[in-house]
Amino acid sequence: MRKGYMKFVFLLPAVVWVLIFTIYPLIDSLRLSFFTYRLGMGVGEFVGFQNFIDLFKSPDYWNAFRVMLIYVCVAVPVEMALGLGFAWVFARELKGKAVFRTIFTSPLFTTGVAVGYLGVTMFHETGGPINYFLSFFGTQVPWLSTGFWATVAILLLDIWRWTPFAFIILLAAIQSVPEEMYEAASLDTASEFQIFRYITFPSILPAFTIALLLRLIEAFKQFGLVFSLTEGGPGRTTEIYCVLNYRTSIKYFDFGHGSAMAFLLLLIVMIVVVQFFGRMRKIYE
Amino acid sequence: MSWKKVVGLIVAFSLLGLTCVSAYEMTPERKAWLATNPYKGVTVRILTLKATVSQPLFILGRKWEKETGGKVEVVEVPLAAFHQKIFTDLITGMGEYDAFLTASWYYGDYFSAVEPYIIPIEKFMKDPRFPQWDPDTVLPAIKKLLTWGGKWYGIPNDNDGQVLYYREDILTNPEYRKRFKAEFGYDLPVPPKTTDQFLDIAKFFNGWDWDKDGKVDYGLSMHLKVGEQAMFHYASWAACYVISPDNPYFWFNPENMEPLINSEGHLKAMEDMVEMVNYGPRAMLAWTLGEGWDLFLKGDAIFCFTWGDLGALAQDPKESRVKGKVGATPMPGRYEVYNPIKKVWKKYDKVIQVGNTTGGSWHPVISRYSKHPEATYDYCAFMAVKENAFWNFTRGWTGVDPGRTFAFLPPYGTASIEDYVEQGWDPHDVKPYTDAYYIDFTNPLQILYLRIPGGEEYWRALDFALGKAASGELSPEEALDECYKDFVRITNRLGKERQLKLFRESVGYKG
Amino acid sequence: MKQKEGSIKRVFIWIIIIAGTLWMLFPFYWAVSNSIKPKIETFNPGSLFPYINFQPSLWAWDKVFTQGDPIKPLINSAVVSTATTAIVLVIGTMAAYALARYRWNIIKSKDLTVWFLSQRVLPPVVVLIPFFIIMMKLHLLDTWRGLVLVYVTFNLPFGVVIMREMFRDIPVELEEAALIDGASDWQAFTRVSLPLAVNGLIATAIIVFAFAWNEALFALTLTSAKAGTMPVYILSARSTRGVLFNVASVNTLLAIAPPVLLALTIQRYLVRGLTFGAVKE
Repeated sequence: MRKGYMKFVFLLPAVVWVLIFTIYPLIDSLRLSFFTYRLGMGVGEFVGFQNFIDLFKSPDYWNAFRVMLIYVCVAVPVEMALGLGFAWVFARELKGKAVFRTIFTSPLFTTGVAVGYLGVTMFHETGGPINYFLSFFGTQVPWLSTGFWATVAILLLDIWRWTPFAFIILLAAIQSVPEEMYEAASLDTASEFQIFRYITFPSILPAFTIALLLRLIEAFKQFGLVFSLTEGGPGRTTEIYCVLNYRTSIKYFDFGHGSAMAFLLLLIVMIVVVQFFGRMRKIYE
Repeated sequence: MSWKKVVGLIVAFSLLGLTCVSAYEMTPERKAWLATNPYKGVTVRILTLKATVSQPLFILGRKWEKETGGKVEVVEVPLAAFHQKIFTDLITGMGEYDAFLTASWYYGDYFSAVEPYIIPIEKFMKDPRFPQWDPDTVLPAIKKLLTWGGKWYGIPNDNDGQVLYYREDILTNPEYRKRFKAEFGYDLPVPPKTTDQFLDIAKFFNGWDWDKDGKVDYGLSMHLKVGEQAMFHYASWAACYVISPDNPYFWFNPENMEPLINSEGHLKAMEDMVEMVNYGPRAMLAWTLGEGWDLFLKGDAIFCFTWGDLGALAQDPKESRVKGKVGATPMPGRYEVYNPIKKVWKKYDKVIQVGNTTGGSWHPVISRYSKHPEATYDYCAFMAVKENAFWNFTRGWTGVDPGRTFAFLPPYGTASIEDYVEQGWDPHDVKPYTDAYYIDFTNPLQILYLRIPGGEEYWRALDFALGKAASGELSPEEALDECYKDFVRITNRLGKERQLKLFRESVGYKG
Repeated sequence: MKQKEGSIKRVFIWIIIIAGTLWMLFPFYWAVSNSIKPKIETFNPGSLFPYINFQPSLWAWDKVFTQGDPIKPLINSAVVSTATTAIVLVIGTMAAYALARYRWNIIKSKDLTVWFLSQRVLPPVVVLIPFFIIMMKLHLLDTWRGLVLVYVTFNLPFGVVIMREMFRDIPVELEEAALIDGASDWQAFTRVSLPLAVNGLIATAIIVFAFAWNEALFALTLTSAKAGTMPVYILSARSTRGVLFNVASVNTLLAIAPPVLLALTIQRYLVRGLTFGAVKE
């Protein structure tokens, strides 16, 4: 390890940038959450925790919270499980594997807004391919005009988009499990599933945890796909947290409640992340 | 990608604009004024939304540039970001724009600061150096939208209001009429005059192939996607449930700012609207405005109540299969109307029909930060002179709908069917369309437009209520009660006293 | 994992792989196939295969480029994403080098790293209003600079944390040899370490580029007519007359093509990039 003042020259630009553009806005956001703000009148009076109380009393707030919870609790586990499953299948000697692997990672780089927009055409009730396909089975689904099915559509699109994330991480992890671990097991003619369960999975647990953590962090931020596909509709049934927050803050210029809502989200995310904190520090030893 | 095509389109539009717009009467003062080259080096910047209604700004802008030597810059923004962009410009005092092609429901926000963000125009109107347009040609209902507290702020342009379009050919079909009478016990009225008749007819024609094209057809078509403009459908429809000669108020009680939105009359209107959803395709709940029009234009729906654009679009053979078959009539009314202030139902001997100006009625207003208010007014007034306005009205693709006296046919106005036919209209469709709008805009009974601060929020709350009731998520009563609570919350956040004062100003309440 | 596999199992495995790949590909295929559908086929869901079900036509592409204006948003997205990537690479890599190579006493290197990482934990919506107000006051709304300022903030963690791991992989002896030979710290950095870390730089660049390109919330809030990026353009494309599938597909393809195509080129270091160096290929 080197010493010297150069380390500051290298480090400081990034640190200063983050400090200015993160700490100041964070403090400002917290401050605003304690005031009212009105278009044309500027920042109004200090109201203490009233904004927060208003949110807790508002059924729309809890609806947005509920939608986010459904999304996080359904999409993330499914993505992790599917990613794990596909990774396990892929992690063996196969010809042409690289091509498939490359294709598998592409959904990850699409923008949520465009996927939602494409989803409007795919889930279109009369002209879309999904209902067309279903019509061979005699059913039609009212996708975007019903709250329940619109939520399902969002989940389906999101799973398509984020399963590759778990997939490529877990694939790399599985492939880096050293051979020696398996040699003992194959002597016992254990089934493939048993090998996976007792050897492979425990070995990749660190990678699994990281993937889960990172995916969770991104999941709470979900905005583009939902906003583009349904804008929170029909009614408010798919109005996920960040969509409601955006509406309140930017469309209605209600900075007081908007900031309060945003801060509550930060709290929620931090509570989740703190569970993983110790492990994170260990990784970067 | 063919750049030639783009250039060709621009040239075509310009030529079209240049050749078809006739010169207007200039006062001698104006001629003298123009001779001094007053706007040399001046650029008028107008912020507008990205829609067909902004097209004339470009075309007429170029004409104005030729006439005056000034320059026009039109900046388009999608509707979703329009309100935000206008008001960040005004709040920060940046004053990047001289004028906004505003929606009427933004007015409250313009007057929410101590000093209004837009300037009154009466002094310009009286000045003979500027293009002259006669304020008396503006129909009364529209005039209310262009003024505040009795003073003029807006220059006339687009005139929005919803009327009921219907398939006249199908409703006059003798065999269907016979079946209707057998089922409902009365002659099918063409056009329907009451809300109950509308519902019966929509129900009758829903779900079978009445135009023999092999596809199932529907009673009506309507867009209901949340975040669009579905709440205007509710407002136009529900007006006649609570507005009568005994009560002009729809939104709030002007004495105490109590929201009226969940009154018994409003509730019945919502219940009927929810029932209406059954008479069209279920997918309507996710439709944008254009998709709602498409079904009617393709010929698969009997009714559609919406803005003037539909009548004009129906004339375009590329988009429409119903040219020449379209009837239009003012929104249906009722015999029995609720009074939300006195809280009683009353039965009248005649049908109470209420006019509406729902919609944006996009028109220019001048920013108080504009450095060239005279040039800006000059440009806006230029677009409002009789000749240019008439040109706008008769052409469907401009998105500017008629609302000045000279756009209408006798006995109401001075236009003729030929004027419209020249622009591609089918002669059968012209008179019902223009008559319907004339009656709508001159009806002394009007749903007063909601123009107080937070307009966007109030209208959105109604949008949500409609969306939830239509999708069955909430019962109509629950949805409107929620809307009531939202209205109260918004009012309190913005300051009840201030809202009450501005509400009274916006409706001309004298106390 | 070496295993003797029965042929039935092989078939089963291949079925899963093919099915999975088809699933991943379908939306892309749907977009491409729709984008070349002629106007009348627009709402016909059954016609999926060009030349078999319908005659391909460039009608939708033509319409998008003549009636819409996707060029400006494409340029805006490209400029903003590239600028963001450049700045992140420069100051992020510098910071990464400092954290990888130097001794830190008061605050440990790993703690600083985790601190940078925690910026990603922050939901962007928390700083939405303050940034909006700041940009409003600085007159940076609807400009490239405003958006770049925000995006660099959000994406610095990638630059710092990933490159730190990359540098730690490079043997330190090479730099030490250079230092002994008389090179300054800066020269060791630029002449020795950076060239060796080029692959990592490329991977980081593409990831940052993609995240900047795909960002929607701040783009929607801070930009519109002049500096609107592709997500803003997509959102405004919906509201006009009806959803024409082929036009929608063209717009979608324009929006997703650059990052997806770029990402196809970097399979190496992709995992390391996405996990902030926690998991290596």
